Amino acid sequence: MGKRKLMKVYPIEENCISCRYCEVACTMVHSASKDPVKAYKLEGLLPRATVEVKGAVSLSLMCRHCKHPFCFDSCISGAIQVGEDGKVYLDEERCVGCWNCVLVCPFGAAHPFISDNEKKRHSFKCDLCGDRGFPACVEACPNRALVYDFER
Amino acid sequence: MGYVIVGNSAAAVGCITGIRKVDKETPITVISYEDFCYSKPMIGDILDGAPREHLTYRDKSFFEKNRVQQILGHRAISINPESKVVVLDSNEIVPYSKLLIATGARPFIPPIQGVEKEGVFTFTELSEAERFNSYLTEKGAQEVVVVGSGFIGLEVAYFLAKRGLKVSVVELLERSLARAVDERTSRIVESLLREVGVKFLFNESVSEILGEEKVSSVKLKSGKILKADGVVIAVGVRPNVELAQTAKVKVNKGIEVSTKMETSVNDIYAAGDCIECIDIVDNTKKSIPLFPLAFEQGFIAGLNMAGRGVDYLGGLVLNSLKFLPVPVLNAGLASPPDSSYEVLVNDKFEERGFYRKVVLKEGRLVGFVAVGEIDRVGILTNLIRQKIDVSSIKERLVELDFGLVDLPKWWREEKLKEDRTAYKDWRAVK
Repeated sequence: MGKRKLMKVYPIEENCISCRYCEVACTMVHSASKDPVKAYKLEGLLPRATVEVKGAVSLSLMCRHCKHPFCFDSCISGAIQVGEDGKVYLDEERCVGCWNCVLVCPFGAAHPFISDNEKKRHSFKCDLCGDRGFPACVEACPNRALVYDFER
Repeated sequence: MGYVIVGNSAAAVGCITGIRKVDKETPITVISYEDFCYSKPMIGDILDGAPREHLTYRDKSFFEKNRVQQILGHRAISINPESKVVVLDSNEIVPYSKLLIATGARPFIPPIQGVEKEGVFTFTELSEAERFNSYLTEKGAQEVVVVGSGFIGLEVAYFLAKRGLKVSVVELLERSLARAVDERTSRIVESLLREVGVKFLFNESVSEILGEEKVSSVKLKSGKILKADGVVIAVGVRPNVELAQTAKVKVNKGIEVSTKMETSVNDIYAAGDCIECIDIVDNTKKSIPLFPLAFEQGFIAGLNMAGRGVDYLGGLVLNSLKFLPVPVLNAGLASPPDSSYEVLVNDKFEERGFYRKVVLKEGRLVGFVAVGEIDRVGILTNLIRQKIDVSSIKERLVELDFGLVDLPKWWREEKLKEDRTAYKDWRAVK
């Protein structure tokens, strides 16, 4: 098995200004309305990138597509799969909301979602913007605090 | 000749995944007396009306893609390690070059008088869960007694109560989930179950199951009698070690394995609920019958069966009370066993719907409980796994906005910049 060739999003904390544009862009592109306000207010969507702030340090964190993904080990429904490309996929339709991935992700990058009426419950995480081709958070970042690059 | 796996659940699928990471060619055979590869932790969903297909963990295409032949509906009854064959109940003989025993665990049934009566069930296997469900429907059951208040017992109680049945949970100890979580969490969980109508009887046990052929009621130690159209026994599981013993594999509290997941017998590996596993929190060997551990152990076994040399990191308790509307997660120790541990609590359950508690020893996190708000608690699980010194940030551990910015900068450099996320990279820090 050779080294996998995977592109993913890298946070650069030295450049982050905690503007949260990445969070807004993420929510928007994953919404039905493709509108940042409606996505948040009406669709109840949450960002897959998390901006963390502590004093002067901040960074935006999303799924690392780990070489050994504990989330995949722990997924009881089969919703989490690892692709040939090394990407970790989470099928929200198949997910039953057991929260094991939330419990074991060392980065806190798999998040729980429970809709207000409790009808929908599933985990969600960064999908590298799927078919979009280029991660929206990276595009939105004004200070190169997120870069899309080959895995190290 | 090829790889043979006895069992067809988490450890088996982990093993197939591990083998195929290294070896794409050599045939794999899976032997299971059950009829398909379903998710054991999801069997409770059938009480909630889910069809059995919903429980599919890996479908036909997975086995085809990985070139796995499944022998289903037959039990492996013995192993001959000299001739390296597994013998099935059909008298079929399956030769192996490397064998994985992933026989799981079975429910422990306490010696209660009348326990053999019709209407008494366990709930760890789909076929029995389905029989239980049809029994309730056919009988028009109204009252059910659940013996034991572990994760399985509570889930059964919850779903049946939601269906409108009268459910009583009989528990030997003074609270539910007593071995898994702390008292505060037990009480929160109990209150959520009472909301749907579940009744708890603590410090109680069943002394006799009454009825002609079928159960009609249970008699408790206190003398109290509960009407019961059905009884579920859910007081824990015991490793299935009988098959392993036919090969003279060493067994303690479960099958003994090395860090490579090898048993005491050459070319025989074991993983999942049937083994004795090292708990990294207290460094003792025990049975930790949990899905995520089973998969991981199977995966490591698979890599090693295919010729890699990977050491298992060791296990830890990882629980999720998945059926409740309020999430409840815990890892490691939920209650300190003695005063050498430190406990920090952030309890806002009444006001804001969350409770968080961490247990520390010598500056290291050894356990936590999170109720209500669970986002990002996996970071805590990893702090337990990697035994990182958290003494300078301990107050932050119970805060909801705890994150990677609270961790040492070297950790972020290593994990985020250098991408050190391979299996061995999650070992405890020196």
